[in-house]
Amino acid sequence: MTEKTTRKAGAPDGWEPRIAAFLCNWCSYAGADLAGVSRIQYPPNIRVIRVPCSGRINPLFVVKALQSGMDGVLVSGCHPGDCHYISGNLYARRKFALMKNLLEYVGIEPDRVHFSWVSAAEGVRFAELLHKVIDSVRELGPATKMIKQVEAVR
Amino acid sequence: MLVLTIAKTELPAFAAAIAKGRRLIGPVEDRMGSSFDEISDPAALRLDYRNTHLSPKGVVFPQCETLLVFEGEEGAEHRPEAPETILFGVRPCDARAISLLDRVFAWEGTDDPYYLDRRAKTTIVALACNEPGAACFCTSVGGDPAGEAGADVLAVDLGEQVLLRALTERGEGLLKQADGVAKASDGDVAAAKEIGDAARGKLSKLPIPTDLGTLKGSFDSELWAEEAMGCLGCGACTYSCPTCHCFDITDEAKRGNGYRVRSWDTCAFPLFTLHGSGHNPRPAKDARVRQRVLHKFLYCAENFDEIFCVGCGRCVSNCPTGIDVRRILARLSQLVSTA
Amino acid sequence: MSQIQDQLRREVAKLLEEKTVDLFLGYEDADLPLKTVARFIRTAQDADRLVWNRSCTANLAALLPQAFKKPAGIRGDWTPPRVGVLAKGCVSRSIVGLIKAHQIPREGLFILGVGCDGMIDRHHATQLLGIAELVEAEIDDGALRLRATGGAERVVDVSDVLADACSVCRFRAAVLADATIGDAPDTQEAAERYASVATFESKEMDERWAEFAAEISRCVRCYACREACPNCYCTECFADETEPKWIGATTDLSDLILFHLGRAFHQAGRCVDCGACVAACPQGIDLRLLNQKINQDVEALFGGDVSVSLDEPEPLCQFRMDDDQDFMTEP
Repeated sequence: MTEKTTRKAGAPDGWEPRIAAFLCNWCSYAGADLAGVSRIQYPPNIRVIRVPCSGRINPLFVVKALQSGMDGVLVSGCHPGDCHYISGNLYARRKFALMKNLLEYVGIEPDRVHFSWVSAAEGVRFAELLHKVIDSVRELGPATKMIKQVEAVR
Repeated sequence: MLVLTIAKTELPAFAAAIAKGRRLIGPVEDRMGSSFDEISDPAALRLDYRNTHLSPKGVVFPQCETLLVFEGEEGAEHRPEAPETILFGVRPCDARAISLLDRVFAWEGTDDPYYLDRRAKTTIVALACNEPGAACFCTSVGGDPAGEAGADVLAVDLGEQVLLRALTERGEGLLKQADGVAKASDGDVAAAKEIGDAARGKLSKLPIPTDLGTLKGSFDSELWAEEAMGCLGCGACTYSCPTCHCFDITDEAKRGNGYRVRSWDTCAFPLFTLHGSGHNPRPAKDARVRQRVLHKFLYCAENFDEIFCVGCGRCVSNCPTGIDVRRILARLSQLVSTA
Repeated sequence: MSQIQDQLRREVAKLLEEKTVDLFLGYEDADLPLKTVARFIRTAQDADRLVWNRSCTANLAALLPQAFKKPAGIRGDWTPPRVGVLAKGCVSRSIVGLIKAHQIPREGLFILGVGCDGMIDRHHATQLLGIAELVEAEIDDGALRLRATGGAERVVDVSDVLADACSVCRFRAAVLADATIGDAPDTQEAAERYASVATFESKEMDERWAEFAAEISRCVRCYACREACPNCYCTECFADETEPKWIGATTDLSDLILFHLGRAFHQAGRCVDCGACVAACPQGIDLRLLNQKINQDVEALFGGDVSVSLDEPEPLCQFRMDDDQDFMTEP
């Protein structure tokens, strides 16, 4: 069980990061489920969105999540070679590489957006991954750069 | 009404003085040549500009403005107090354009409070043109390089001095606050007139179709398809035009709470007339380019007795594929009236 | 260049006379200095209106798909016209991309290739004049003479005002053509094609964000960039979609960022760096800031050249088992 270790100075007391987790149905979502039935504890910071395949991930999902107030995004799919749809994750891998670089390039903190592979049998790995992701986002503090302002008056 | 002169070097200080406690907006240098911006340091005011790449209409009609805020089923109008604004140094074409927008936003009893509030708080000091710009044609559409429509004060650059002519009560009130001014002499007034004449003389009169029958008859002409071939369907012309005023209203909501926004729209966009059913009465570019031109030269002429083009030439300069409204107007002028 | 222009006019007149094409898409001089108009011509006589000069900046490929679409209001059968197009290097690459994306047919398209030494970015030239307006421009043997309002004159080297994209262009000749005019241009291997990316990347993260936000804040959502881009052929752009609503129609910074990040990302593996977006933007935003980063990554990570061969799928339409995944998070 993780402790609330480091928290960025200036983050309000009691603030916990909210992370959108896009998990592919066949591997990562099943892996998360396995963590659950195995009673492996992991922090409740993620909001899971199940997609059929990591290839379904539209880059707009990631930036839209950040715009909507999510502090971090995790995208996880099957390991290359194991995709239920044979090659969905292989096309996705290329998109993810470009996306990760582009977001960092414009100045979004690199630890806000994570990509990973987790298989259906990797309940423990899933929990460990989450600890790492959540801790890294917690260290960054609340996401502010992409948030839409309420008043849209120029 | 007061007619004064002030040393040109004193003009920025004058602008700052009349704008005390108000927002001062004027032309500044920017990477596109010049643009209108809020000025905190009067030294940034650049009155040696020709014309800006975007018009100053955003001062009274912002690109994006919140109309109302809602929470669940409770909504409230969002109309913060409009700031008192001095719009300094606009060209007569742009000032005239604002007077045309005034007609639209207070038309037949449908007063637009958002526009009218801002407009009521905006005082316009226009700057006459000594030289026309490369694409200018104001005199062809009822304008003038020393035109007074829409302005509260008209400034004329005489060289060392600037003539300031009050045109409205409000303008007179501004001039009364000025320091270091002198009453304009007959010589100054004559010099200003000469400058106006010279600028006018440099503008060629373009053939502009004013016969509404001819314009109506052009609806099915092949010229639209030919002229529209290069149109990309972007909003560069509309967004830089000082008289274009179409807008879209959208809701920005999250879980039932949010705000309603008005933002600029353009009939050049293919989606502009797309119905919910999927039908689009203007499916192709020829119809859209035709609409844009006829709206300005026919439909507004019918509705307001005014051509809604002030000849600033921005659409010509800004169009990425070189669509030229002057060329279209010349062709329209050649059509024989069928009315 | 005027010799090539003469050759162009002769060739196009011939194409139209012999009915090899029904329409030819080229450039015509605009009534303003350093500006051309994109023009479809139909008759051999009109061929004399076509020009080839340093202001032929528009990417004509953007206007091709609609030439092959059945016009609204036509009932029954309709045969698409045979369309000819003047294609400099970037235009030909966009054409290759559009053919692969099934947006234009290869048959019925006549590509007249022309070698290009780079186009002048009008904004670069006008920026030299500060606040004064450009009234006249003349090119004389590699020198550009500018005359501004107020009578001021400046003479610069054409190479000093070339479009940024043109300064680093590697594909100056058409990569696909049915016929070519002019001579093959000198190849250009710019030493640091992605120097602008390196410069931006060398800054601190928050500085990059501030600069990017400041640049993109100039956007007024006119979509000139999108419409000028040949790759933006979607009948419904994500920016206009309301179900789902990806972004609002506002000029709120986050909407602007989402639009430009989204659009840049949609070009990934397809952008040929023609610079049409930058040329079209009425606010002078450096849109290539984003595209160049993606282009550099595509080249570095996936190799190959984008939109050069009709047979090679675009980089994001293929994969390798050993594609890089160092960026992924391991627990």
